[in-house]
Amino acid sequence: MKSGLNYSEAYKKLEELVEQLEDGNIPLDKLAAKVKLANEMIVVCENKLRQIQAEVEAVTDKVSKKSKSKNGN
Amino acid sequence: MTDPIKLSTLTQLIQDAIQSRFEGEVFTVSARIMNVKKYESSRRCYLTLEEYEYGTKTTEIRAVFWANAYSEIEKFEKVLKQPFKDGAEITCKVKVRYHKVYGLNLDVLQIDVAHALGTLELERQQTLEKLVRENPESIQLYDGVFRTFNNRLPLPLVISKIALITAPNSDGQRDFLQELKQNKHEYQFAITEFLTTIQGDNAHQLILEQLQLIEQSKEPFDLVAIVRGGGSLGDFKPFDEYELCVYVAKFPVPVFTGIGHDRNQSIVDLMAREQKTPTKVAAMIVEHNFSFENTLIDLRRRVTDAITRQLDRATEKLDQAKRIIRLSSPQDILNRGFAIITHNDQIVVDPKKITEQMQIQTILKNETIHSTVTKKTKNEKRVEL
Repeated sequence: MKSGLNYSEAYKKLEELVEQLEDGNIPLDKLAAKVKLANEMIVVCENKLRQIQAEVEAVTDKVSKKSKSKNGN
Repeated sequence: MTDPIKLSTLTQLIQDAIQSRFEGEVFTVSARIMNVKKYESSRRCYLTLEEYEYGTKTTEIRAVFWANAYSEIEKFEKVLKQPFKDGAEITCKVKVRYHKVYGLNLDVLQIDVAHALGTLELERQQTLEKLVRENPESIQLYDGVFRTFNNRLPLPLVISKIALITAPNSDGQRDFLQELKQNKHEYQFAITEFLTTIQGDNAHQLILEQLQLIEQSKEPFDLVAIVRGGGSLGDFKPFDEYELCVYVAKFPVPVFTGIGHDRNQSIVDLMAREQKTPTKVAAMIVEHNFSFENTLIDLRRRVTDAITRQLDRATEKLDQAKRIIRLSSPQDILNRGFAIITHNDQIVVDPKKITEQMQIQTILKNETIHSTVTKKTKNEKRVEL
């Protein structure tokens, strides 16, 4: 799996694969490989997205807690 | 030497002469009042009326407000918002009276308050015109509003370091500090007090000195508050003095005034930002900081919303991609009842490549059928699946 890709790179690759699949121009004998690659990109994107979500939540929680303690709430 | 006459005879002569000349006549005079001694309980006021030329006294005469005219003093103080005290210029109606014991006196009957108001207003207008004329870079008048270097200085986003000019132990000092200390948001302020007398003849110089100290201070202040207590009758003349007004107009730190009066604004008010009372200046500072906090809260909410939207959109796109990929997978195709035909382990896409007697494999979901082609026909019509 190409886990070295960042979210944008992985998503761009995924978009290309999805476009090819939607066009129906992929030779059937190459279809399985393409689908496999697309699934790998999905996993990369989902993992990255979860990681980003967790990071954002951690940051906003921290800011919110700081603000509440400053206001004595 | 002729035989002496009694002193009382002479004073009687003087009294008769004065009476015959001044009896019943009322004069309107303009003079400076000095040696003012008010006796509120008996409602009398003794003073001297004086006239000066080039700084030298040229005339002085004693005068009295009797009880029936004492209300004129109260009216003067109420309307002009300045105390009836030494140095004030008045125009008044007087009668000449001579008493053999108390001598020559003027009985003051009435003060021309309108004239005094006019004089004050004229002086004020002259100062304003001079300010604009002599300081065009720092003071401009647009549509009746004075725009000065100082009152156009931007305020910092958060006001925390405050220089306070006020009189020690005054109502203004107490009100201002109390309002800041008890603010409901519990904001903290660093207040440095520059205490001085802010009433009286040289008050404007004392205030100016405090401004100089603030300017020279290594402490960078966010704002200067000049406040004086409300309630007591005050002399606002220091706040109309040209020298102080110019200094405030050019001062590099925003100045707020709360000098507590209902009369027309003082000129310093016009050169700075006016809030009327010390409490209002403090409230404005708290409100300014609260407004900034609200901006931050709003920005934080917008950031959170924007991130949530973007993450939701990304998740949705991934879900959509997953659906498309699933539908495209060969296994999914087989699950839905379709078959894949291979020959020599190669998927056959083009039916022209299949000939009779060829060995082919038909791959279904769970099984593969190995067969030999016996016949090939073209579909008469397109197979609808």
